[in-house]
Amino acid sequence: MSGLTQGERRELRIVGFLCNWCSYGGADTAGVARASQPTDLRIIRVPCSGRVDPLFVVKALLNGADGVLVSGCHPRDCHYGTGNFYARRRLEVLRRFLPVLGIDPKRFSYTWVSASEGQRWQTVVTRFTEEIHELGPAPRFMDAGPLEREIEQPASSPLHSLDSASLESLAALKQAIASRLPELDLVLGWQEGRDKAHLVPLFIRTPEDLDRLAIGPLAVHNLAVYLPELKGRKVGIVVKGCDGRSVVELLQEKLISREDVEIFAVACHGTFDTGRIDQALGRYQHLESVRMDGKELRITCDGRERHFSLENDSSTKCLHCKTPLSPLSDHSFGSAPSVGEGDSTPPDLARLDAMTLDERRAFWRSQMERCIRCYACRNACPLCVCRDHCISDTREPHFTTQESTAKEKFFFQIIHSLHLAGRCTGCGECQRSCPVGIPILALREHLIRVTDELFPEYRAGMTVDAAAPLLTYSVEEPHIQEREW
Amino acid sequence: MRIGVFVCHCGSNIGGTVDCAEVARIAGTFPDVVYSTDPMYTCAEPGQAAIEEAIREHSLDGVVVASCSPRMHEPTFRRTVERAGLNPYMFEMANIREHVSWIGKDIPSNTRKAAELVEMAVEKLRKDTPLTPAEFPVTRRVLVIGGGVAGIQAALDCADGGIPVVMVEREATIGGKMAKLDKTFPTVDCSACILGPKMVDVAQHPNISLYAHAEIEDVQGYVGNFTVTIRKKTTYVDWSKCTGCGTCTEKCPARHSVDAFNEGIGETSAITIAFPQAIPKKAVINRDFCRQLTKGKCGVCAKVCPTGAIRYDMEDEIVTEKVGSIIAATGYDLMDWRVYSEYGAGRYPDIITSLQYERLMNASGPTGGHIVRPSDGREPKTVVFVQCVGSRDPSVGRPYCSGFCCMYTAKQAILTKDHIPDSHSYVFYMDIRAAGKMYDEFTRRAVEEYGTEYIRGRVSQIYPDGHGQLTVMGMDTLLGRPVVLKADLVVLAVGIEAARGAKELAEKLRISYDSAGFFLESHVKLRPVETNTAGVFLAGVCQGTKDIPASVAQGSAAASKVLTLFARETLKSNPQIAKTIPGRCVGCGKCARCCPYGAIRENVANGETTVEVIETMCQGCGLCTATCPQGAIQLAHATDNQILAEVNALCQA
Repeated sequence: MSGLTQGERRELRIVGFLCNWCSYGGADTAGVARASQPTDLRIIRVPCSGRVDPLFVVKALLNGADGVLVSGCHPRDCHYGTGNFYARRRLEVLRRFLPVLGIDPKRFSYTWVSASEGQRWQTVVTRFTEEIHELGPAPRFMDAGPLEREIEQPASSPLHSLDSASLESLAALKQAIASRLPELDLVLGWQEGRDKAHLVPLFIRTPEDLDRLAIGPLAVHNLAVYLPELKGRKVGIVVKGCDGRSVVELLQEKLISREDVEIFAVACHGTFDTGRIDQALGRYQHLESVRMDGKELRITCDGRERHFSLENDSSTKCLHCKTPLSPLSDHSFGSAPSVGEGDSTPPDLARLDAMTLDERRAFWRSQMERCIRCYACRNACPLCVCRDHCISDTREPHFTTQESTAKEKFFFQIIHSLHLAGRCTGCGECQRSCPVGIPILALREHLIRVTDELFPEYRAGMTVDAAAPLLTYSVEEPHIQEREW
Repeated sequence: MRIGVFVCHCGSNIGGTVDCAEVARIAGTFPDVVYSTDPMYTCAEPGQAAIEEAIREHSLDGVVVASCSPRMHEPTFRRTVERAGLNPYMFEMANIREHVSWIGKDIPSNTRKAAELVEMAVEKLRKDTPLTPAEFPVTRRVLVIGGGVAGIQAALDCADGGIPVVMVEREATIGGKMAKLDKTFPTVDCSACILGPKMVDVAQHPNISLYAHAEIEDVQGYVGNFTVTIRKKTTYVDWSKCTGCGTCTEKCPARHSVDAFNEGIGETSAITIAFPQAIPKKAVINRDFCRQLTKGKCGVCAKVCPTGAIRYDMEDEIVTEKVGSIIAATGYDLMDWRVYSEYGAGRYPDIITSLQYERLMNASGPTGGHIVRPSDGREPKTVVFVQCVGSRDPSVGRPYCSGFCCMYTAKQAILTKDHIPDSHSYVFYMDIRAAGKMYDEFTRRAVEEYGTEYIRGRVSQIYPDGHGQLTVMGMDTLLGRPVVLKADLVVLAVGIEAARGAKELAEKLRISYDSAGFFLESHVKLRPVETNTAGVFLAGVCQGTKDIPASVAQGSAAASKVLTLFARETLKSNPQIAKTIPGRCVGCGKCARCCPYGAIRENVANGETTVEVIETMCQGCGLCTATCPQGAIQLAHATDNQILAEVNALCQA
């Protein structure tokens, strides 16, 4: 503010979101008791901690807040009964999400203060302000320099064998679709695209269309993305394991109806990273042949044969796949490989894990500078169901500006990721469709890891009638350790 | 937009540590602010008049007041701007007193902070839209939970005002704690004689329906339209047939049942009528002691009952009632004083609670009003009263004063002398709190006329001396020396806590409660009867410790709130509720799934799902707005854009 002298200690920017009924009252009580507090905090009054969209917190942190504090009624004391139970889950997911963005999670805290707890409020404000001062001013995203250290992508071995076994089911699949086609408006599958090395979606309406059906490790598209638009029509869909989970998630979210969808599940033994193949093939004039030979893909173009193997060139999502066969199906084909035990960290995520917070910010800054804001990631995501109403495009509400900066583009990725929290099945379509190859799947994979930690009994896209973890709550949260003050 | 900003000095409350004139000057530079000033007292009549004048003079269409907490004066100023013709929701407050001037002394920091809070309020106001409340009909019936003196008063006042009352009492009789008392201070009136007629009024009032021996199972709905589920606990007696003749209680062979009404002093039969003036005067079987129900053979009461009212196969019954308002008057219980090992932790029969002592003194009590020792039936000659047992004692989690123990202890000391003229009473006390009409005079009378010996200090140990008496060791802190007394009877003034089950009831009513379980009023000073849930009011000790006249007063106050509420044919709903933006909704129903009030209805038409907010049910929490990914449901007055505007005002890096 102009013309005013500053206090001895430079104030930092701390934003508080306080529920009207308890914490705002608690702050009032502290004031009435003349309980002295640091002056850094600015309070935004909201009706309920459940009103706090985690995106408000990210917005503040990306735009210069050095710390953000959310405070609501104590669990069980919510003025609205259950608002803070939802807030607890969502804010805890947010807290654990921040590090992968390169934001120190210590800059965000949430707690509970009742209207009578003036003293507790004083303690919370004082401690939190001290902690933020210990951290110092938050580094700005747009000040992040280039990543100075090369970080190796760790090797990762798949949880099940990857090979082309799925090809064997094609005849049986075609037969099944042929027998069902008269009763269906259309069936979604894959076909050869511009050449044999590139499969594209196929909309089967006639037996002739069916002849073109292709499957196999090059059938990468998640066709579930088309289903919401086809709601109300009888649609058959050929799905890999991961695609099937998207269908289940859409059913759970009532965006499609079970009676309108017929699921043809194909056991999947892995898909190729088509971006990697294209890069290896480079520009070519003429493609002579594409042959799958066990685990090997042999592509001959312009007289040169190149070999790709699922061991080395699979999509990274396949490395930690636990659902090679759709959890829900009407017909299933092929035998699914047996899935190994344990969890493996996806390679891109493991690389981020190996970075410091500063390095992660530098990493994302440089990656986001490359983003052309084409929204292909959003359009390919089967769970991006807002379609024309995405809040990154609107002014009501006006979450992002149209300014083409790495920060705004990063904020869009955060919006997309947080909107997928507890819903994302990790199908990887966002990253596959990115024309500039930004490893954005890692953000979603990190959130999957977070929700797995917090809600281990739940996996997105496995059961139609399950309750998504952020749309429900428990009175006691066994996996959330709240901080003491 | 044309915004006016008023930066209140609040005397020196704000002006002392915030440069209000500077804040007003800075506010004048904010977008759309056309007028800013710094009045001395904005909430006072001249201050409000100045706002109205400024609205007219400067054609303001929005007002920001920077002053105290909006929890204090937001309604006040909303009315002010409304008087001047603005929509009351074209108003925002910046809290620069509780959140600024009172918590920091550094004037430059405070001034900067105040200016930023004003900036946030201005930015939010710029996105405010006029809101109009909807009107909805009211069910003009009231539920009173608890039939103690506060609940009785509230029920009678409502009923006299023409409002049908549903009273639910957990015990088999109304009357509450007051019905157990022998006499009341400071007049030493017979408690039953003053309460009894009121209890009869409840029973006979055409506007009151009473559910005794019943509890609240569930509460749904909202102000004006609550649906209450009541569990009528089984009594094993068909009350429509029971005449209260008492034959069953005389003939019942299970004579060793715990006598709850008499606080466990003495024993009673398994089928009982709590006391002679009970309302309703109906028998209840205590299933823990009834031989028919525990052993399967007896059936005496069924044989002797002249009207055939006994029904051993009776089960709980669930009834629902529709009401427009609820008064909670659930009272209190004594804390479990056995946590005090120094007082014997309940091992010695001649250490009793003051409420047990009331039953001993009461003519309708187990001893017919003769004060005798529970151990041997002997008349005590030396009685020691110990005050503050579980009051003002943070070590047992009860830091608060129970409020009325000083007075009833004085009363009990006086009555002891009346009953046993050759007795002598001692009172150990911490402080005498006798701040009521005729109260101090009354305690003086106990000392000066009745010779009660008051000893300022705590008791450290009580134990049997082996010769039939109790040794009471304590400290006289005025004389600074230890005191050792021989007592025939020790009466503990046990501290009170919220009635058992109060928290569970609060959850059902969605009202707040404090750590001791007492229900929280809406504002400590200005809204002592209201709760934060519209239409739910408080009466009596459930809200905090108070004596009989205060409980009665609050019962009447709660009734007046109900009558005020029902004076209108319709109620206005809070317009700060969620609204859907139909074109944006994809029908995923995530909002409906989370809504704590079930206020979001999903409509399916032509295979398309849309959602709709039921205006009267929405309470404005905004959980739906935070849940909807595409921003298709917005909470009016706290829209995404309004909160973002506040965030953006603060964070512009």
